[in-house]
Amino acid sequence: MKRVIKGRKRKVMPKGRSKKRIIKGPIKRKSKRIAKARIKGIKAQPVVQEFAEKGVPAEAQKNKVEQAKYYPRPSTYMPPREWEKEELPSHYGDNKVVVLVRDPYWLYAYWEITDERKSNVETETQASWSDLRKVLRVNDVTDIIFDGTNANKSFDIDPTSDANNWYIHVGEPNRSWCVDLGAVAPDGRFILIARSNVVTTPRDSASDVIDEEWMSLEEEFAKLYGLFGGFGVSSPQMVELRKKMKERLQMELASGAVSSFARPPLERGFWLVVNTELIVYGATEPSATVTVQGRSIKLNRDGTFSLRLALPAGEQVIPVKAISADKAEERTITPVVRKYIK
Amino acid sequence: MEKGYLAIVLHSHLPYVRHPEYEDFLEEDWFYEAITETYIPLISVFSGLVRDGVDFRITMSITPTLASMLADSLLQDRYIRHLDSLIDLSNREVERTRWQPEFNRLALMYQAKFNEARHIFVDRYHKNILTAFKEFQDLGKLEIIASAATHGFLPLMEVCPKSARAQIRVGVNNYEAHFGRRPRGFWLPECGFYPGVDQHLKEAGLKYFFIDSHGILHGSPRPKYGVYAPIYCKSGIAAFGRDWESSKQVWSAVEGYPGDYNYREFYRDVGFDLDYEYIKPYIHKDGIRINTGIKYYRITGRTSDKEPYNPDWARERTAEHAGNFMFNREKQVEYLFDILKRTSITIAPYDAELFGHWWYEGPMFLDYLFRKIYYDQKTLKVITPSEYLEQNPRNQVITPSLSSWGWKGYCEVWLEGSNDWIYRHLHKASERMTELNNNFPNADGLLKRALNQALRELYKVKSHR
Repeated sequence: MKRVIKGRKRKVMPKGRSKKRIIKGPIKRKSKRIAKARIKGIKAQPVVQEFAEKGVPAEAQKNKVEQAKYYPRPSTYMPPREWEKEELPSHYGDNKVVVLVRDPYWLYAYWEITDERKSNVETETQASWSDLRKVLRVNDVTDIIFDGTNANKSFDIDPTSDANNWYIHVGEPNRSWCVDLGAVAPDGRFILIARSNVVTTPRDSASDVIDEEWMSLEEEFAKLYGLFGGFGVSSPQMVELRKKMKERLQMELASGAVSSFARPPLERGFWLVVNTELIVYGATEPSATVTVQGRSIKLNRDGTFSLRLALPAGEQVIPVKAISADKAEERTITPVVRKYIK
Repeated sequence: MEKGYLAIVLHSHLPYVRHPEYEDFLEEDWFYEAITETYIPLISVFSGLVRDGVDFRITMSITPTLASMLADSLLQDRYIRHLDSLIDLSNREVERTRWQPEFNRLALMYQAKFNEARHIFVDRYHKNILTAFKEFQDLGKLEIIASAATHGFLPLMEVCPKSARAQIRVGVNNYEAHFGRRPRGFWLPECGFYPGVDQHLKEAGLKYFFIDSHGILHGSPRPKYGVYAPIYCKSGIAAFGRDWESSKQVWSAVEGYPGDYNYREFYRDVGFDLDYEYIKPYIHKDGIRINTGIKYYRITGRTSDKEPYNPDWARERTAEHAGNFMFNREKQVEYLFDILKRTSITIAPYDAELFGHWWYEGPMFLDYLFRKIYYDQKTLKVITPSEYLEQNPRNQVITPSLSSWGWKGYCEVWLEGSNDWIYRHLHKASERMTELNNNFPNADGLLKRALNQALRELYKVKSHR
């Protein structure tokens, strides 16, 4: 239900909802649908501009553009939202970096560095903080106990200097990662500021590990793998299946699907509806009994009555009959109403 | 002898919404709508099946937030107020549509349904419909499973293991308080699994949980039976994987049943369609138009010129769809029996609110499905995961893969540009809560209450969206 709830929030501003909670600014995503469209339409240009403005040398710029291609949105740096500034601290006085797994290919890191640590680093490197290159060193620590030197491999990312979080494209499922946050001294030394937790990217395809006790033929497994997705089993090649799995995961078959449920796009957008209703109202002695078209209706305390009826095309004969409490008197008035559409 | 089993799993969840300070709080309406359109119709279906001697099995999660709302007397009384207003509206609609027989029959249908809902809610279950679900559980037809305290997406809380563990433990305790026994099964919010969370589940005394297909299929070592048999995690708890095919038939708006043109159109509601002055007493007190639940049209087609809903056509189509779903499961089970050489289990999980609220005919679909499976064939049987495990205790041990049933299958829905900022704060809050608890291990009285309140606030923050 949750996505739906979001949808409704857009329509109305319910009572009791703090305005502060509405996220302002360009990062506001009205729905996941929009978010998807943006991701699809990503372009590296805004990042290029950003780097260009900051006067990064051309060669470095090119590298950054290459790197930026992998980013799912123009820039990972988000200025703090207004209410975020009001309600939540912008930092907690920690020196730390935390890594989360987004999917088989991407990690997300957020970090914080205290001013004290920054000045320590300045002292250590004899350089000002703003001149230092800040680096996320992404270490592949699969199957090892990482001590800072024994990574299987590692690569560096230079986040923009004002960033405090970044999406990292590791591109490799089923590997373990540890991120070192640091600064690079003018002499090339890496000064470690904080080391992250270790995370493992999930597999994006079937495991190669086969359990002897529970062995199955490759072909059999491919059939099962294919069957779950209704992929059909005509091409039980794992490569093909992997592709199909990816397509299947793009489809939305869970809570999120509900918001657009049973609502394929309409043929055309413009529309007009016109309806008519008829109000039959009147008054009599409060003690009288009144019927409209033979059906009795309830009188208000003062003897008035009112009936509201949807009026379809055609003729309506509407006898309104009132009978006095002692049944001695009776009055009938019969309006006739004809509706037609020109 | 049946060749395979089907487990229908409904996940019922609503975020916690309770605002005693406001007379009319919009978000509470979602809760009321879900009662009228989903929970009560499901109770009606289950009662009918029991009455007619149809042996059926269904598994349902009722999350702690939803259970707490259903048990809350303020919300119960407000629901009755809400329902009475709906009954009043339906009475006026019966009158208003006097000259339009195609709408009048629908107004009468709603009038009858709302009155029946009132009867079930007030007279039969004395305002607490958790009792109803508990009864079906005690009869052995329904297995209610637990879920995380506030529907927190656990894979992104891996760095705060204490919080993940607390989400689970609180969920399990809440279950016990409401249903009078320990839960066997657990619904991971959004099917969000990461290797390691199974250990917390196991420690909480749980026997099994559900996971999306690729969580099992990409597990290691390779699962011999795919998603068609449970596996054990190394911690010893069982995991059941979702079957994609049966999901698609119901979920997909394009290929799925609910998009059928004869079914009721969700997006045409008298709350939006009728003259403002007339409908005003039945919409939000601030005058904002909202869904009332009275909807007169069928989907009709890809057009905005909607035709009136015809309950007879919809019923026929529902029966056809239930038959088709059963036929496909039979074929699937036969096929699986040939390659697996063992009785398979097909897990078909859905959001409960899909049935009735979104897909109006959904509860009727389940009714037909259970009846057809019971009377019309012998290949397939419905089962709960607990029963299946009792019958098939020997299963492969694998480590499932991190996964969710969200868009793209992992964490992206909960970790992208609009929401990623929250994690630094969320993790910090968790860390501080842990510190507080460590500093005051023997807290009592006011201090204990303060700590509990802090914990509750933390859970509220974690309830995603």
